[in-house]
Amino acid sequence: MSDPSLGPWAAYRTLLSWQLAQIGGLLPLIVVVQALLAVGIVIGFGLLIPSIDPSTAMFLATGAPTVLLLTVGLAIVPQGVARARLDGTFTYMRALPVARPLLFLADLTVWVVVCVPAVGVAVLVGWLRYDLELSFRWPLLVGAALLVTVTATAVGYAVAVVLRPVLAQLVSQVLVFFVLLFSPVTFPAGRLPDWFRALHDVLPVRPGADLLRAGLASEVYEAGGRDLVVLLCWCAVGVAISLRALVRRE
Amino acid sequence: MTAVLEVSRLTRRFGAVVANDDVSLRVRSGEVVGLLGHNGAGKTTLVSQVVGLLRPDAGRITVAGVDTVARPAAARRMVALQPQAHVPIDGLTPTAAIRVAARLRGLDAARAREAARRLVADLDIEAWAERRALPEGRGLSGGVRRLVGFAMAVVGGAPLVILDEPSNDVDAVRRRALWAAVRRVADQGSGVLLVTHNVVEAERVVDELVVLDAGRVVAAGTPARLRGDDGLRLELHLAPDGPDPSDAVPVPVRRRVRSGRRVLLTIPPDAAAAAVSWAASHRERGGLDGYALAPATLEDAYLAATAGPRSEADEVVGGV
Repeated sequence: MSDPSLGPWAAYRTLLSWQLAQIGGLLPLIVVVQALLAVGIVIGFGLLIPSIDPSTAMFLATGAPTVLLLTVGLAIVPQGVARARLDGTFTYMRALPVARPLLFLADLTVWVVVCVPAVGVAVLVGWLRYDLELSFRWPLLVGAALLVTVTATAVGYAVAVVLRPVLAQLVSQVLVFFVLLFSPVTFPAGRLPDWFRALHDVLPVRPGADLLRAGLASEVYEAGGRDLVVLLCWCAVGVAISLRALVRRE
Repeated sequence: MTAVLEVSRLTRRFGAVVANDDVSLRVRSGEVVGLLGHNGAGKTTLVSQVVGLLRPDAGRITVAGVDTVARPAAARRMVALQPQAHVPIDGLTPTAAIRVAARLRGLDAARAREAARRLVADLDIEAWAERRALPEGRGLSGGVRRLVGFAMAVVGGAPLVILDEPSNDVDAVRRRALWAAVRRVADQGSGVLLVTHNVVEAERVVDELVVLDAGRVVAAGTPARLRGDDGLRLELHLAPDGPDPSDAVPVPVRRRVRSGRRVLLTIPPDAAAAAVSWAASHRERGGLDGYALAPATLEDAYLAATAGPRSEADEVVGGV
């Protein structure tokens, strides 16, 4: 009997158009939510600081894109995956006649598309509010934005496939809280106790933020090779766990 | 005819529960095989193993000659599944959704478009063909979504098509169109495994039946064979809290199934007159609420096959 399979590239494109159609109606809403979040972080957090000096403003504004990317990856992605597991979508997609890693790749692409506006929105809000002097280093900016998005999405996906759906939804909320308030993204790491700073050296949040920051204001901040390695490790672990959950038969 | 699905001695446990217990069945190309069973009989577990979502503890599954345990990805390309849950088509129109499924089955854009157009017409859902499904069940009704899920499974003619309760939520008129389409899918060469607990509907469309109960195959064969074609069905409706007088019916009883206040007796055709006069007299005296005599159906055989000793409410008495 013939094997009516489709080439991986065509399968990927078909899956991608399917996923995009599903999320398409929500895209404008997600962009609006990201804009509001950006305003909340850049302007709202600014209000917490009585007389904000230019360097603090710069730090805050260049941290905002990371917070937005991590919010999408660690909160919206796991909630979506958990919902897909509850309503049977996850199972249905896994039964399709395509290589299962392609499902993940298509999902990942969609989230990258969703996240791209976040960086722009956050930078725009910061620029409008504080009149920042940014100095883009494009290759680093684009590379860091992609890596942070993919890492956050992969980790969020992994959380959602490892934990039971209800628990995954809860954990994703806690993660956002952690990123927003307890991570040196919108404030310098120096304000944290040593042990907590050391912890952040091996978590993906601070390294991701610093890489992006260096891409946005290359004359002020520098990127570290160690940060890149840490982020790549988290990315690899997230991807591995997600793929395993997709491919595995219980 | 070649076998597109061959399940042999399949066993799958979940802890102490044996969900599939030494199950064997075969679906040939061009054939519709009904997989019947109550909720929890092990139907979904079986299907999940065929499409490579679950791994069997023992036994063998081949789909179009491909071993699903050893080569799950290759086997999955030979199977199309309509799940019992709704298919994820939010954001798509029925036409677009069917086209996507067709493309994933390897049809080129033109053939996918044509196949989608034909299925939309066959299933009589042209009125919704270009209406978008929206989140929270808006845009398209459950019945239309179910039919789209069906079309997505059958488009492209996979060697094996598995349909899990395809007629749920579907209105009576379109059910006819659906069953006709199921038949057509088989006639065009696919093997169809139809998973259902709706015996009456299955009877009309299947070539073969396999009845699962508590994970085991308890009956298998053609509908005619399972039904016992020359029998009659005497259905007695007992009076509330009344005794069951069916032990004393003065005709040979081949099979007796009790389900709640309903007793189904399978009797030989020449006993019709005696059975009716017995039932009529009981009814007059108030011993029965009502009765009916009709040709034996598959439902009788199904209930008899699945009414095990575990069940308090149902009891079955074998042939005379």
